[in-house]
Amino acid sequence: MELITLFIAAILVNNYVLYYFLGICPFLGVSKKIDAAFSMGLAVTFVMTITAVVSWMINHWILIPYNLDYLQIVSFILVIAALVQLVEMFIRKVSPPLYQALGIYLPLITTNCAIMGLALLAALKDYGFAKTVIFGIGSGLGFTLAIVLMAGIREQLDLADVPKPLKGAGIALIVAGIMALAFTGFSGMIN
Amino acid sequence: MNLSVRMIVVLTVVGLISGSLLAVVGMLTKDRIAFNKQQEIKAAILEVVPGTETSEEVFTEKNFTIYSGKNRDGNLIGYAVYTSGTGFQDIISLMFGTDPNITKINSLSILEQKETPGLGAKITDKEAFLKFWDNKDAGRALSLRKPAAHSQDELAPNEVNTITGATISSDKVLSIVNQSLEKLKQMKQAGKLISEENDAE
Amino acid sequence: MPSKSIGAEYIKGLWEENPVFRQLLGMCPTLAVTNAVINGIAMGLATSFVLILSSVVVASLKKLIPSQVRIASYIVIIATFVTIADRFMAAFFPPISKSLGPYVPLIVVNCIILGRQEAFSSKNSVGRSLMDALGMSTGFILALLVLSSIREILGMGTFLGHQFMGAWFKPWIIMILPAGAFITLGILLAVALVIESKTKTRKN
Repeated sequence: MELITLFIAAILVNNYVLYYFLGICPFLGVSKKIDAAFSMGLAVTFVMTITAVVSWMINHWILIPYNLDYLQIVSFILVIAALVQLVEMFIRKVSPPLYQALGIYLPLITTNCAIMGLALLAALKDYGFAKTVIFGIGSGLGFTLAIVLMAGIREQLDLADVPKPLKGAGIALIVAGIMALAFTGFSGMIN
Repeated sequence: MNLSVRMIVVLTVVGLISGSLLAVVGMLTKDRIAFNKQQEIKAAILEVVPGTETSEEVFTEKNFTIYSGKNRDGNLIGYAVYTSGTGFQDIISLMFGTDPNITKINSLSILEQKETPGLGAKITDKEAFLKFWDNKDAGRALSLRKPAAHSQDELAPNEVNTITGATISSDKVLSIVNQSLEKLKQMKQAGKLISEENDAE
Repeated sequence: MPSKSIGAEYIKGLWEENPVFRQLLGMCPTLAVTNAVINGIAMGLATSFVLILSSVVVASLKKLIPSQVRIASYIVIIATFVTIADRFMAAFFPPISKSLGPYVPLIVVNCIILGRQEAFSSKNSVGRSLMDALGMSTGFILALLVLSSIREILGMGTFLGHQFMGAWFKPWIIMILPAGAFITLGILLAVALVIESKTKTRKN
């Protein structure tokens, strides 16, 4: 029961992008077309879930038992860099068209707060294994939801007459703000 | 030195230096960080169980810890419960104090919250919310008075006040406290709250 | 291309190549911790610490690190300084450390830092890299200051915790919420572009 609440919370109430401000770079960068956004969202969800599992294992099997928590940041980021590298090679082998579609964004997944944020948040909240996995999947889906919604809106915006200074990042951020406001409506949904 | 060897050497050296540097920093700051955490808990216990000279953790599990508060003569003067639960926006962490027989709640202190600023966040405000929690009857579950009363006299002994515009946050705090209170009473009845020095002389 | 003077390496970080307003980097922390001026300043200082030290170290070691492992090395170097900053804050400034939460460790993925190592420190002298880092840091702190001042003054009526607006002012709560962060930054970016184009026309 608690897992379901956590899952819904991660997607709606404490949406990864619109509440925790994580994953802004890809959120603004990839959200121009809906299919690209969706693919990116799924890639991120995939990497997030694996990261959630691996970072939990590192934290609970190595860092904490040996009193090495000060190595948390270094170990997490190195693991993430390695994981993304592996995922990239995997996608390239398994589905070249998908690899083409995601292009440069895959390596970008490493150096953006999305994945590292996931590892750190899960460690901070001290979730058990099951919760960490659910948190990873939920956060990834929340990210996907936000980025797909954003892409949908931006596809429409491309046809509209946006004032020059606001074009691009400016209007994207304002739209994100309105979305964030809308998502605030989900607060209090869970018990 | 050929390239592969060089790559490995560089990475290893960087790794080692980083590791050692962090180990040193880790050790230097570790105690201070633990100390800070202890101070925070101690201060909160003192606030909700006034007159506490020494406190001891008598029971702990995930998200729920009971401390006993003893005065200068070593007599038990109350319990402090430190727990957290889901609020409106995110987790709320709080501590409340009771007398040794768990018949009343001394007061409530909110330690961590991320509620809506200006509304739910008022649960940390003494005037707007916390003062209505002073000296409440803990014999039965507490209830929330809605709409908000204007002064403490209007409230029944086991009633606490809601914050206008932040009913949900107020309610969440209430359920966290009620659940913990229940648990505390059960622990007491099951005899699990005996501390090292038996105060039943 | 003529080499910039050492002073110019510093100044460019303030406006022309301001990491947030012009380069659009480091937005995660910019949005997350600017709900109060003190948080913005603390984050700015922590990030500066990491950026300056990492840049100096990378610039000093650039000849020794083979290109293939440079990103991994930079990451380890940056992560080390971030951990130091995080631990130091938790030990000596606990309340601020709590407010900033997970965002201090997240400095490790702040694109400004890795970006500067890749784009500058790995190719320039220690002196220039230091100036570049100082400039970027100042620019970043300025950006955080502007954003957090707007959000705190309009959102809570205070500045650095002290009452700023009179009692007549009803705070715009939205400013403290995530929505306010996004919208304010969006508007500031637009303003930056307007100022930029106006200065360009004046120059011509």
